[in-house]
Amino acid sequence: MEKITCTGCSLLCDDIIVKKDGSNIEEIIGACLKGVERFEMISSKHRVLKPYIRDGDSLEEIDWDTALNKVVELINKSNNPLLYGFSNTTCEAQLKAIELAREINGFIDSNSTICQGKALNVAKETGFTTSTLTEVINKSDVMILWGFNAVESIPRLLNKILFSRGKFRMTGREIKTIIILDPIKTDSFNVMGPRDIALLIEPDKDIELIETLKEICCTENALPSNEVAGLDKDDFKRLQTNLTNSEYISIFVGQGLLKNQEGKNPLKSLFELIDIINERNKKGRASIILAGGHFNMMGFEHVALSNTGQNQSLSFNNHQLIESQETIISKIENKDFDLSIILGTDPISHLPMRLSKKLASKPIILIDNSRSGTYLIADLILPTSISGLETDGTAIRLDNVPIKLKKVIDAPQNLLSDEDLLNKIIEKLREKREGI
Amino acid sequence: MELYKFLPQTNCKKCGKPTCMAFALDLLKRKVKIKECTPLVEEDKYKEKLEKLKELVGDEEGEEKELRINVNEDDCDGCGICVTVCPVNARYCYSTLSGKAPEYPPDSHQLFVVKKGKCELLALEHCRRIAAEGRERECRVCETYCPREAIKIEYV
Repeated sequence: MEKITCTGCSLLCDDIIVKKDGSNIEEIIGACLKGVERFEMISSKHRVLKPYIRDGDSLEEIDWDTALNKVVELINKSNNPLLYGFSNTTCEAQLKAIELAREINGFIDSNSTICQGKALNVAKETGFTTSTLTEVINKSDVMILWGFNAVESIPRLLNKILFSRGKFRMTGREIKTIIILDPIKTDSFNVMGPRDIALLIEPDKDIELIETLKEICCTENALPSNEVAGLDKDDFKRLQTNLTNSEYISIFVGQGLLKNQEGKNPLKSLFELIDIINERNKKGRASIILAGGHFNMMGFEHVALSNTGQNQSLSFNNHQLIESQETIISKIENKDFDLSIILGTDPISHLPMRLSKKLASKPIILIDNSRSGTYLIADLILPTSISGLETDGTAIRLDNVPIKLKKVIDAPQNLLSDEDLLNKIIEKLREKREGI
Repeated sequence: MELYKFLPQTNCKKCGKPTCMAFALDLLKRKVKIKECTPLVEEDKYKEKLEKLKELVGDEEGEEKELRINVNEDDCDGCGICVTVCPVNARYCYSTLSGKAPEYPPDSHQLFVVKKGKCELLALEHCRRIAAEGRERECRVCETYCPREAIKIEYV
């Protein structure tokens, strides 16, 4: 029986108990369905165990030496490679991936560029107040879920923040208020108690709502007479009471708030709202936590920032980082690449049709452990072990706290970890270059 | 007051209480049962009132029936909110206080456990609806806060 860290989502629960029977996991206690799915990947029928190469329409099994030689061949042929993914792997592998990008003069980007990384880009200009989950558990009395369906995307989050009893919140659920702002009535609305506020807002009107909230947080009598974003005066009165009289407000920002609205970024306004609350509220403070999806999404931002000084969209030339305004989207849109190396993600299924068609038009090297949309069109497939279950490592939780991952069982058929595989590719490339 | 409306309001004292109002108050506190008011049960003219009262008091007679907590496995996603929110778990499994999963093997008082992403009921005898006294007996937190509406408290 072992206590391990679950890598099902960005919450990285460190209280999961597994019972092992030799190389099998017999029982998983404490993990939610999302976590269990990750465990089931170990013996899933969709698991990839051998390297494959595409030959016309069919895939052909090859041995590791041929596969690695093919990778080196493809990389050496390319002048403008694109590296994408890295949110479902450890920080150590992310570091290696940046090293590989530097080695092959490529462009590297992670999933966070089209997710919570957007918020961090805004925060570069304005700065933002954040907090950790322990603080939220111990102190928070008002929690706001903004455009974020916690119950379905991070199942155990509400369990931790809302139903727990913290140091200064002894009675737990009774003295915690939850406010949900969402245009869709999601499953998260079912946890409402008598004090809580569930508000259905009009889609794409968040920015108007934030502007109004800014006003009512500054002046008491500024309640709007008309409806704003589908909310009436009473709703605003309740929001005002909660925002100005609480001791510790924590706002969880989901995917719903990342899109630009009317050419403006709602996150910028939200950060300003937080500043206003912190300045005017003498009783307590407010903070933001960005709720990402993949388990190590924040990791890439941290690894890239501490090693290169830039948090995402790194472009290398002559083995050095160069200034560039490109992002993964603009690169694919302009077809400004001739080879893509994808690790641990499935852009062909996730990106819009227009972009995935463009991505599919060039050769793809896929490093992943299960079959996906990208698997069906990739030219070279290299399987690896599952990070956090079959390899050790570090991952960064959604509140920017590094968590150690523990190896549970050995990888089948001696599969390499992402880190080791990338390292091997780099070594092979260097050998080849020095040989010439 | 709501309950008083559906009593005979004759102050007949057959139940042993001085007034119907006193009976209503004790009914609210679950100290007496509806059938102790004999005129209400026996006389035909109070039939409507009796039915309304039974609806309001609800599972009053269910005390003799068996408590069941049904967990619908298809709906459950193993979030563990029931484990954390259950007051019995909170008293005997300290780690649930900070939202963590309880220790394993489970304490003998522990009601819920999440195994393989699904919630399972371990033992019912320590549930507040059976073991507690007074208002604590009305506990329904697991049913109320389950986001998937997978938990149902029933009397069969």
